[in-house]
Amino acid sequence: MKASIEWLEEYSDIDVNSAELGDILTMTGSKVETINETGENIKNVVVGKICFIEKHPDADKLVITQVDVGNEKIQIVTGARNINVGDVVPVAKEGAILPDGKIIKKGKLRGVDSCGMMCSIGELGLTKADFPEQIEDGIMILGEKYEKDLGKNIVDVLDIRESIIDFEITPNRQDCFSIEGIGREVAVSLNKEFKNPRKNLNNINIKKVEQIEGLSAKIKDPDLCYRYIARVVKNVKIGESPDWMKKRLKACGIRSINNIVDITNYVMLELGQPMHAFDINSIKSKEIIVRRAKLGEEITTLDGIKRKLDEDMLVIADSQKPIAIAGVMGGENSEIEDNTKTVVFESAVFYGGSIRKTSRKLALRTEASTRYEKGLSQENALRAVNRAVELVKLLQIGEEVEEIIDEYPTKQETAKIELNSEKINKLLGLNVPKQEMMSILKKLEMTIVEENGKTYIIPPFFRQDIEQLADLAEEILRFYGYDKLESTLVKANTTIGLKNKEQKIEDKIRSVMINNGLSEIYTFSFTNYNELKKLCLNDDNELILQAIKVQNPLNEDYTIMRTTTVPSMLQILSNNFNKKNEEVRLFDISRKYKNVNNKIEKEELPEEDIVLTIGMYGDNIDFFRLKGIVENVLEISELNKYDIIKEKNNSIYHPGICANLKVGNDIFATFGEVHPKVIMNYGINQKVYIAEININKITKYAKVNKKYQPIPKFPALERDIAIVVDENVEVGTIEKIIEKKSNKMLEELKLFDVYRSDKLGNNKKSVAYNLKFRIKDRTLKDEEVNTVMKNILEQLEKELNAELRK
Amino acid sequence: MKEKILNLKEQAIKEIRQSNSEKDLNDIRVKYLGKKGELTLILKGMGTLLPEERPAVGSLVNEVREKIETELKLKTNDFKEQELQNKLKNENIDITLPSKRTKLGSIHPITQIIEDVKEIFLGMGYEIADGPEIELAKYNFDKLNTPEDHPARDIQDTFYITEDILLRSQTSPIQARVMETKQPPIKIICPGAVYRSDSVDATHSPVFHQVEGLVVDKNISMADLKGTLEMFAKKCLGEKTKIRFRPHHFPFTEPSAEADVSCFVCGGKGCRVCKGEGWIELLGCGMVHPKVLINCGIDPNEYTGFAFGFGVERIAMAKFGIDDLRLLYENDIRFLKQF
Repeated sequence: MKASIEWLEEYSDIDVNSAELGDILTMTGSKVETINETGENIKNVVVGKICFIEKHPDADKLVITQVDVGNEKIQIVTGARNINVGDVVPVAKEGAILPDGKIIKKGKLRGVDSCGMMCSIGELGLTKADFPEQIEDGIMILGEKYEKDLGKNIVDVLDIRESIIDFEITPNRQDCFSIEGIGREVAVSLNKEFKNPRKNLNNINIKKVEQIEGLSAKIKDPDLCYRYIARVVKNVKIGESPDWMKKRLKACGIRSINNIVDITNYVMLELGQPMHAFDINSIKSKEIIVRRAKLGEEITTLDGIKRKLDEDMLVIADSQKPIAIAGVMGGENSEIEDNTKTVVFESAVFYGGSIRKTSRKLALRTEASTRYEKGLSQENALRAVNRAVELVKLLQIGEEVEEIIDEYPTKQETAKIELNSEKINKLLGLNVPKQEMMSILKKLEMTIVEENGKTYIIPPFFRQDIEQLADLAEEILRFYGYDKLESTLVKANTTIGLKNKEQKIEDKIRSVMINNGLSEIYTFSFTNYNELKKLCLNDDNELILQAIKVQNPLNEDYTIMRTTTVPSMLQILSNNFNKKNEEVRLFDISRKYKNVNNKIEKEELPEEDIVLTIGMYGDNIDFFRLKGIVENVLEISELNKYDIIKEKNNSIYHPGICANLKVGNDIFATFGEVHPKVIMNYGINQKVYIAEININKITKYAKVNKKYQPIPKFPALERDIAIVVDENVEVGTIEKIIEKKSNKMLEELKLFDVYRSDKLGNNKKSVAYNLKFRIKDRTLKDEEVNTVMKNILEQLEKELNAELRK
Repeated sequence: MKEKILNLKEQAIKEIRQSNSEKDLNDIRVKYLGKKGELTLILKGMGTLLPEERPAVGSLVNEVREKIETELKLKTNDFKEQELQNKLKNENIDITLPSKRTKLGSIHPITQIIEDVKEIFLGMGYEIADGPEIELAKYNFDKLNTPEDHPARDIQDTFYITEDILLRSQTSPIQARVMETKQPPIKIICPGAVYRSDSVDATHSPVFHQVEGLVVDKNISMADLKGTLEMFAKKCLGEKTKIRFRPHHFPFTEPSAEADVSCFVCGGKGCRVCKGEGWIELLGCGMVHPKVLINCGIDPNEYTGFAFGFGVERIAMAKFGIDDLRLLYENDIRFLKQF
């Protein structure tokens, strides 16, 4: 909301400059966004009259002028084309400062002295909007009427000094979307009297009638319209508004249209109540009906656009058609024309939520809708319509009809709040005396009532945001001073801050990651179906079926919530690859989202899992490097019992180089080399390794119960064994058999060689182990171990067709 | 005889001391103490001595033998020491050659800030609470005094999945969930990702991170809020940091405030980071709105509380001097490795 200091001065004396005022108001809650000053930064520019023009002897495009600046004549050389002898112009004298910071100095132009500069509007920081009759690429010609002002400061003569402050108004303070509201804040903030120039607008005694000049008004949908007031002015002369009004409108960013429309805008700025003006003759049957639009109804709004309406939208209609979209914009069909004679002023209050929805649906946000959607005061509506009529009289552009139509089905509620000063002080941690509280509230025009020894506060009509004690506390604090708040520490019951199991595991995982040289990344949780297709998934893959769609995505890259973190990781690896970063090791701890069992359709929340994703490429990276890191993660998380199973059917991964980790049947991690086709889709020209580890599941399966095991007292017995098996036998299978058959005596099993040769034969390999046997309560005997070894070998032969290597 | 033995001793010692290698020493040992060594021969020839001379000569021979052995040992040690010295001399390395290690990875700046914040608040007895990112509108809005017709619920600002399910636009729904399930005292912080419909640019992102805090108990005051945030600001941004409250409005707090901190780059003098103002807008906060307490089943006549929340990216950017938010999500390894 923009407000000029000049206008605000109608409400309060202002004895500080605009920057200081801005700081003070920011600290009382009206945050200043920008301060714009015109005129302030122009120095030593005066009115002058051109007395003589002659050609420059050495330059065709320059002329030498003599300019009368009151007490002297100065010589100025200029290239301007639009000047004539006798023109009155703005003259920047030697030492003048212009708004762009330029300082005017004496100088020579092609050998001729020039002691100043004649200015264009642009050089004075003005625009064609300020002075439409001026040209932009020439000297500003002031006209004869300024001849009396020769030598006077141009800023004073043209009255262009203006300070405009732009405030950020919070949505609870609809009253501050008006100069009156900000003016009140200014007065209280500066501790000045609030002059209240529009005090008596609601006390005007005029006759309430059903019809004025044949016009009637009815509210058909009172749930959306709380009050509808109409007044009429006759014999209107449509024309231009006076300069002072145009200037104030412009300061607030509103263009002047004609005197009647300007009055409605002026009142809106002044009092915060949007108004509308109709030509009475454009209202069919002179019947105004406030109703919901009918499906399929259309209206061409004042901006010339035809808009489709629906049953959720409120309109102002006549007996046949909508003539305005309530609270948003009027219709072309009832616009004020140059020949309009009788004007209907509308001042109404609508349900804010409805106006907001309508304005969104139509993508049409106006000064009116911005105010209405916050919820306006029904009481203020009456003031506004009276003010509009008052302005018509003031400008002498029409006659007042001393009657009013006032449909007021929903009265404004007034709060009554007990002023419990002790409670307020406790809430704020302050010690403000009750008297001071009352004095602040009084300045804010709150009514104070004493009843049965208790003090009650009744907020003024324009402060519907004040509903309870906490609201009073804020008002008191605003003017007692937010800067007077003390700093104390919570003196409450002791609480213990501790990380939970999952948070601790996450911390440990991060430390394992950085120790293995991985860098953490952050990615967006959005993805799209094309991205999932890059993973070569079948259409019936659950990663596609369970994706959750965003109703209003930001763009087509972010249409769904990711069901897998792999695409995000591949994308980042691909970015790094494209930037020629060699050997990249990354990890990400983030979520994936799955619509399991159609929960979304049942309005239930979907599943969210926290996933550790590892992604790496580079010369030193292979499957077993990745496997080692995964094992470290599990070890640090104390997840010791799990199975590793080869995965051949996951389209993301290489069918021969991928593993699932399982507890029971529950897969909690998948890792391996990414499928060459997928890699190609991401434009990476190198092997890429990825692991996906579900941290929620790790947390579930991790067993943190460390217990000391005595260090063995008895010696171990060791045996080496080398067996020949078929190439496709996994060592994991061999190890399981060895463990199973070792009669619980096996302490350690170490693979130390895998060997292939022609001698062994095609598709055969030799696998060699070192086995260490020990039991905790006695020394093992050779024979015992020999028996176990025999059993192991027999079982290996039986199950795997293994042979002892000779 | 005695003289001969002593001569032998002198001679042996001389030879030992003049010897040049361990091999020489071995020869000397054989020459004097070996089976056919000179001293051994004397012992063997004891039979020719008078019985009364034998003990004296015997003990002299033993004395000399010990002496020679000691000398031999000393000289051997000398040689060993010398040998070691030579070896050490040859084993000299260039210690500025590169080390053998896996270079450490790095923790993302967003995590670093969140971890700093967690540590500060854990120390003050706060728990860390978590909740779903895909959230019910009920928790994201309704319970937080942001009813259906409130502007903040606008589809332009919030991503919706259905009419009632959305991507949380703040971490506050976690607060509502905690208040609903737990009676005071409540002291929590809620870090996490939040979603708003903003296009990506140097200062905006549709996904960003917040940390919110909530305290509810008897007699919690706005001074407690200021004290807590002051403590936080000092620990997180430096002991000299000052904090300033300005009035503001949020639907879920009353009174509400925006808190600025003195610029931690220039210390308040005014610089590029604080745009010459000396203050940086840090967070929004206030006393929990009584309606929010009621909505979550807490009696506002008995309990009061405060809440605050801030954007992690903003702090990370200011603290690390990162001038474009996009860098945080581009994850170029050359960027990541700097943290």
